[in-house]
Amino acid sequence: MTPVDYLELALTFSTELVLLVTLGLVLFLDLRGWLGSTLAVRSQRGATLTAVGLVLAGGVLLTFPPVADAPAGSFVLTQTTLWVKLALLGLSLASVLLLAGSEITEHVGEFCALFLLATEGLLLMVGAENLLMLFVALELSSLSLYALTALNRRHPDASEAALKYFLIGSTAAAGTLFGLSLLYGLTGTLQFSLLTARIGSHIGDPLLWAGLALTLAGFAFKVAAVPFHTWAPDVYQVAPGPAAALVAAGSKLAGFLVLLRLLHAGLAPIPGTASGLPFQSGWMPAVALLAVASMAVGNLAALAQTRVRRLLAWSAIAQAGYALVGILGPTTDATLAVQYFAFTYGLAVVGLFGVLEALAAAGESDEISSLAGLWRRSPLLAVCFTTFVLSLAGIPPLAGFLGKFFLFVAALKRGQPLDHLWLVAVALGFSVVSLYYYLKLLKPVLVADPAPEVRPLPVPRLLALTLVVLAAAVLVLGIFPTLLLGSGTL
Amino acid sequence: MNWLTQHVWLIPLLPLVAAGILAVTPRTQRRFASGLAISALASAALLSLVAFVATLAPGYTRTVVNTPWFTAGELTLHLGWILDPLSAAMLVMITFVGSLIFIFSTGYLAEDPNYARFFGFLSLFAAAMLGLVIANSLLVLFVCWELVGVASYLLIGFWFTKPSAAEAAKKAFLTTRIGDLGLFTALLWLNSETGTLLCYDHGRGCLETTALSGLVAQTTVLGLTMSAAISLLAFWGAAGKSGQLPLHVWLPDAMEGPTPVSALIHAATMVAAGVFLTARLYPLLSAAPGADGLAFSTATPALVTIAWVGAITAVLAALCALAQNDLKRILAYSTVSQLGLMFVGVATGGPAVGMLHLLTHAFFKALLFLGAGSVIHANHHEQDIRRLGGLRRFMPVTFATYAVGMMALSGIPIFFAGFWSKDAVLHGALEWPVSRGPFILCVIGAVLTAFYMTRQICFVFLGEPRAPHSGSHGHAEPHESPAVMTAPLVILAACTVLLSLVCTPFWPALEHYLSGPSEDGHEITAGLWALLALSTVASFIGVGLAAWAYQSVRTSNTSTDPWARRYPSVAAVLHQAFGVDALYAATVRRIGWGLAQAAAWLDRWLWVGLVDLVQTLGQVSGWLSRKVDEEALNGGFDAGCASTQATGNWLSRLQNGRAPRYLRFVAVGMMLLTLWLILGRNAG
Repeated sequence: MTPVDYLELALTFSTELVLLVTLGLVLFLDLRGWLGSTLAVRSQRGATLTAVGLVLAGGVLLTFPPVADAPAGSFVLTQTTLWVKLALLGLSLASVLLLAGSEITEHVGEFCALFLLATEGLLLMVGAENLLMLFVALELSSLSLYALTALNRRHPDASEAALKYFLIGSTAAAGTLFGLSLLYGLTGTLQFSLLTARIGSHIGDPLLWAGLALTLAGFAFKVAAVPFHTWAPDVYQVAPGPAAALVAAGSKLAGFLVLLRLLHAGLAPIPGTASGLPFQSGWMPAVALLAVASMAVGNLAALAQTRVRRLLAWSAIAQAGYALVGILGPTTDATLAVQYFAFTYGLAVVGLFGVLEALAAAGESDEISSLAGLWRRSPLLAVCFTTFVLSLAGIPPLAGFLGKFFLFVAALKRGQPLDHLWLVAVALGFSVVSLYYYLKLLKPVLVADPAPEVRPLPVPRLLALTLVVLAAAVLVLGIFPTLLLGSGTL
Repeated sequence: MNWLTQHVWLIPLLPLVAAGILAVTPRTQRRFASGLAISALASAALLSLVAFVATLAPGYTRTVVNTPWFTAGELTLHLGWILDPLSAAMLVMITFVGSLIFIFSTGYLAEDPNYARFFGFLSLFAAAMLGLVIANSLLVLFVCWELVGVASYLLIGFWFTKPSAAEAAKKAFLTTRIGDLGLFTALLWLNSETGTLLCYDHGRGCLETTALSGLVAQTTVLGLTMSAAISLLAFWGAAGKSGQLPLHVWLPDAMEGPTPVSALIHAATMVAAGVFLTARLYPLLSAAPGADGLAFSTATPALVTIAWVGAITAVLAALCALAQNDLKRILAYSTVSQLGLMFVGVATGGPAVGMLHLLTHAFFKALLFLGAGSVIHANHHEQDIRRLGGLRRFMPVTFATYAVGMMALSGIPIFFAGFWSKDAVLHGALEWPVSRGPFILCVIGAVLTAFYMTRQICFVFLGEPRAPHSGSHGHAEPHESPAVMTAPLVILAACTVLLSLVCTPFWPALEHYLSGPSEDGHEITAGLWALLALSTVASFIGVGLAAWAYQSVRTSNTSTDPWARRYPSVAAVLHQAFGVDALYAATVRRIGWGLAQAAAWLDRWLWVGLVDLVQTLGQVSGWLSRKVDEEALNGGFDAGCASTQATGNWLSRLQNGRAPRYLRFVAVGMMLLTLWLILGRNAG
């Protein structure tokens, strides 16, 4: 065994170290220094410090790109993972800014610490090149998110939802761990690259397929794909805004990209077919099945919702279905498409949670009817809300449109032309259905009159700024997608 | 400096931007409007001067910048700019004279409510004209050519509430459009034959040897070479723009526009576009089949046509000018006549000769028009020369400068640029190998020019005030115009005199500059002296005759024209301009009217029926589709929506909040997925 070079190790994980230092600092300061201050001030300081830490981490990431393939092939850093890490930091930053000035939890220090820990887990997960590291990182982020969900003082149900989240999550994780161990048992390696080389010879072995199916479960849980989605509506409804935003945006982005890498890099030799007959097992039909189920269940169930956050949860399940469609594409196209889609989707969702936080802070319930007359009460919130919802609905020129477009184009590019046409047709059909509930959200905001007694909604300045930046990003990236994807084109 | 020669498009851009801004400027912003227009054009003038200086470098021929614009199928259209002596001289002239006219306009239109709009139009016009002269691509040239037409339409009809002005604007636009048709056809033909509309493109341009050799080698209708046929079509366009027979009718009417417009458009620049075009296309016009495939000659069918048309126009327009009583109409006919002279110059002596006269004429004709504007402004918009008179005492500056312009136009020798440039034209015509006819006509034209200008001076400035009721309307005495109007007059007058320094055959700097270094100038021969003497005599005869004939006018306040009284029928014919307008009214307009009637009849009886039929069919199918829509589609859609919603409700109820059920989903999901994949593993 070669001696470990600790300096190199520290440099490799400098980004994560910055987050850890911030974590310690925010815990310490909140316990020691900020005790006398009001909750609003504490959350303001905690959020600001966390945000600074995230920005610094991003800076470090750009300044000292870690060496690829260290230590001993556990982690990699490619252009794609670097991009995803930056995007993750950006989404986390936007999410944590929702905490500033909020009185949602008394445990500000702990909240920020868990938030940073979850982000850290996501960052590691993205860079993992090894099944074990992948699982450890996945669990790190999941466990932090379970705890974050519970930290809501407004909702007594929060701990119940967190418990469900934890139960389902650990069941799925158990499946994944079992699946990974089966894969290891078959191939004798944890490395993605070696896995690729060895897996092809086990196609006839039922253990391989059990391993694949069980491994998929954990990731399907992470991205809230049916039938591993049941936690989502409860968590979305009661989790504190910043935590829900992280679950909905950052965690999903990481989940999709890791799943994509696992399938395209590690399991590349066993794609199977998703184009109907003749049927051939592989990850493609499995993913296609999850996609169709998610799109169907998510979109249809969303129709019946009367609460904004639950509606968002079901819509997120549906959107996960679209992203899974995109994962079926050829590696380059699928990566670009999922990157673009997941990131811009994350921007819109974080923005929506921001708007909902502002409403909740003013004591509004999250019934759709409480959005009535938002246009009159706060034009800024209404415009931002409309932008985000229209982007989710996929209305050009907002980014949501191009996101879906890229996904579907990527899916169509794989294999024979029109192999995946049926899948895209299903997705388009459900997109039409989704328009209904998205517009149902917009109708009270823009058309209905506010209840007579309500007053204008105050929006904290930092929150307003965050929302405007997010809305502008959704618009600008929709018009100039190359800003995000660089020279890579579909 | 070198940079500017590459980016000469900046010069038209300045007034274009100004025009764009002024288009959205509220009309209360009067000072801003005129300030912006004048400063934009003045800056353009400075840039033009810099570009001009660059072209003075020894050995300079031209700078050409071409860039592809767009490709449609196999056709690639290029944009291109050219800076050669021809365009540089035009740039300087247009921007300089234009700036002066802009400044003059601030005084002339001081009370007009649409002042800001006026300067917007002027800027648009200037931009179009500047673009026209720097165009290397004939496509760009044509675009600017049309823009010039639009701007002139807007400016002639600037006082559109006056029916005559609206009518004149329409007439000018339509008449020049008829000419443009010829030019457009020529361009299409040229493009289809040579594959390019770039004049110069490093050997591939349509005015360069390769293309021209191809054009002269082919013969088309009437035995004309293709180059000659295209040239004649192009000249048709030039004749429309420059008011040559038979398309001259719009120019006198165009005097309905404000006088600065007349000065700018209908004297100095726009009408010069036609002459400029022939100068630009001169290689094409003069191309003839030669010993080694291509030769250049001044006896090509196109140039012969141009020379004769120009000469005849020069004389006929001068004759018309004799009998006009409107101050500006006299100048308008004079412009037509002088433009004829320029065409003769281009056709017989080469582009440098024609352009020389164009440039000097621009200065003194702008001077005359602005002088006329000053007179009109001072006399409460009185334009009838028979009601003016004796103004030399009231308006000394205007009188002095007007006299300079008049002498330049009449060809009074030595000190005035007009004399020398006209002499150059006569010299060219005299040495033209084809015929002496144009020369003789030009000399006659010179005599007539001197005559009608003297007549005008006698009526307007000499004698006593003629208007019988002058002052009875509470009008004050005529007064000298403000400095903002007289200063441009003085500057233009000074230029008219100073310009003569570089125009003489003894030091023909300007002509050499225009023709390029290759051509050696006229030698000072005995023949040249004789010609100078002849043209001097011609102008003195004209002046003397008029002074004698209008003796009564220049000494008293009589408002009768002694010659018109003695020969009323001749005067009437000339006043009606040989009845060309009436002829067109009787022929072209009547034919047009008949066609319009026929079209109206078809419209009413044939097309309307068809339209009604289609409409009924549309109604029937609309009714059908509404039925289908309501009964089948809407019903089906509603049912679909209801079942979709019901599914949603059912799915939502599955989510009952109980953890055991949730976990069951997870477990069942994992099991089913596993089974499915295992079962399907060997199917392929």
